[in-house]
Amino acid sequence: MSEPILEVANLVKHFPVTKGVLRRTVGQVQAVDGVSFDVARGETVGLVGESGCGKSTTARTVLGLEKATSGSVRFLGRELVGADMSDVRAARRDMQVVFQDPYASLNPRMTVNNIIAEAWHIHPGVVDESKHRTKVQELLEVVGLNPNYVNRYPHQFSGGQRQRIGIARALALEPTLIIADEPVSALDVSVQAQVVNLLEDLQNELGLSYLFIAHDLSVVRHISDRVAVMYLGKIVEFGAGADVYESPAHPYTKALLSAVPVPASRKHVRGERIMLKGDVPSPSNPPGGCRFHTRCWKVADICRTDEPPLEEITPGHQVACHYPETPVEIGV
Amino acid sequence: MDPLLVVDDLHVEFRTDDGVVRAVNGLSYMVDRRETVAILGESGSGKSVSAQAIMGLIASPPGFITKGSVRFEGRELLTMAEDERRKVRGADIAMVFQDALSALNPVFSVGWQISEMFRKHRGASKKEAKKSAVELMELVEIPDATNRYRSFPHEFSGGMRQRVMIAMALALDPDVLIADEPTTALDVTVQAQVMQLLENVQAEFGMGLVLITHDLGVVAEQADRVVVMYAGRAMEKGTIDEIFDQPHHPYTEGLMNSIPRLDDLNERLNPIRGNPPDLLRIPSGCAFRPRCPYQQPDCAEVEPTLEFVGDSGRSTACHHWRDAFGE
Repeated sequence: MSEPILEVANLVKHFPVTKGVLRRTVGQVQAVDGVSFDVARGETVGLVGESGCGKSTTARTVLGLEKATSGSVRFLGRELVGADMSDVRAARRDMQVVFQDPYASLNPRMTVNNIIAEAWHIHPGVVDESKHRTKVQELLEVVGLNPNYVNRYPHQFSGGQRQRIGIARALALEPTLIIADEPVSALDVSVQAQVVNLLEDLQNELGLSYLFIAHDLSVVRHISDRVAVMYLGKIVEFGAGADVYESPAHPYTKALLSAVPVPASRKHVRGERIMLKGDVPSPSNPPGGCRFHTRCWKVADICRTDEPPLEEITPGHQVACHYPETPVEIGV
Repeated sequence: MDPLLVVDDLHVEFRTDDGVVRAVNGLSYMVDRRETVAILGESGSGKSVSAQAIMGLIASPPGFITKGSVRFEGRELLTMAEDERRKVRGADIAMVFQDALSALNPVFSVGWQISEMFRKHRGASKKEAKKSAVELMELVEIPDATNRYRSFPHEFSGGMRQRVMIAMALALDPDVLIADEPTTALDVTVQAQVMQLLENVQAEFGMGLVLITHDLGVVAEQADRVVVMYAGRAMEKGTIDEIFDQPHHPYTEGLMNSIPRLDDLNERLNPIRGNPPDLLRIPSGCAFRPRCPYQQPDCAEVEPTLEFVGDSGRSTACHHWRDAFGE
């Protein structure tokens, strides 16, 4: 893999919990609490986890839509945390986003042409105004839509088509990195595969990098080169897709993978399901030590007191656990 | 003996300002005790509307059941008087909804809402009802049930709220439980817990379970038989092994091919081309035709009906299944 274009180090995002008319801060929701990962050029890094684990907040903080509490986000060699708004805006030219809900993320009063060309008004000089229309048509063709649809409004499209418009908008500034936050979760199964294929084709043609956030473990496995598993604001495991999925080292990853129902007949041999007890604790009052210890079947005294660091167990495979599973040799 | 629940040629339409939305167009299936039948379909396939029709929950207007029959132990439900129907609902056939937060009343404690079932339907005293409700909460594995009785829906997590919904549905010991996307709003580890719970209560109470879902994985692990719906029609019916090992309808095959699998790293997914139909303008003939790789000219003219494949009881609604999938 080539050099990293995005390096996130010890990223923290806490949201204050306020109370009373004076809005006194009484606590912190520790949405993201010390997250480090990197994305290389042309690579797809998947970020998985259940609701409330901080994966979307991580994405929003990397994008600068939320102000980081601390930590560092280096993108194409420039530090974004604490940078001037103008620098962040310049960086965003190369870092675009595709949102989950294709119904809410497109302005219903704007035509497809205006939605896609809007970026060129914010970043003048990218595409000459006289060429906007033809360039929009080109982009529509790239994402598999009829280029004659430039004057249509979002409501005239289906969910899958809208997500294609969202992708065309993200491509308008020819970004290096696209952050896709649950881009196919709202789509029907039969349409979801179309959009996944489109994202893969675009990556091959344009050399894009993706930070792909989703709760669907199968989709993430399919599209990602490397996968980071999050739990309560922390990355608990990070590594190549094959390592994380076939030889999960963190008990949470193991339980998560085992819970995914397998769409195959009864003849298909299924692994043993690890049933986790209870619910995810609140991120405003996370457990001390290892955050997973309240639900972990391997819990020992040290897990309640000492937080396990994210450490490499085999080359490129990191895990944050005092008692990780022994890595299995993966056949190449 | 009559089968437990029989849905026969059900048609439901909604008359809107834009035209008639044909949500269910001739759906038939049956469910017996101790059996789980999955109704599998994508958004707009009519799976939820058909359940609402069975429960008598279609608001009319705009909704109309234009044709068909729903029989519970041989009794026709669709022509039943509303007060009779109300007795069936909850006691004979109960339903679990997808979104527990909006299905529960936010201003009453969950215990009060569960115990209401006993007070309203069984004429139980407040004290008796409370005792039964706490027992039910324990049955669905809500920890600390006696104290949680007084909690409000917003004080529960999504998984716990779904347990409350299941407790309410079980209150009157129904013979049929219809679960409409019961785990769609839940995280995968919690989904596994709730599915396990449903399996346990079914084993204990022996009810027939109608599981409405879009999730092929949930279907494969939970159901005995599947009805694959598209544009308000059943495209294919069969057992889990039949449907998943050898689909005999192009739509079912397309669905199976479009999902990524944890254990299968095929470089490319094979999506179904195009988009699901607009229910205001369902294509003539076979509704799946515009997206079908096997379509022939006659598909546009004649709507295929379900025909048997072999003698196991499985059926498919495709003119060309023999050419496409063999005998």
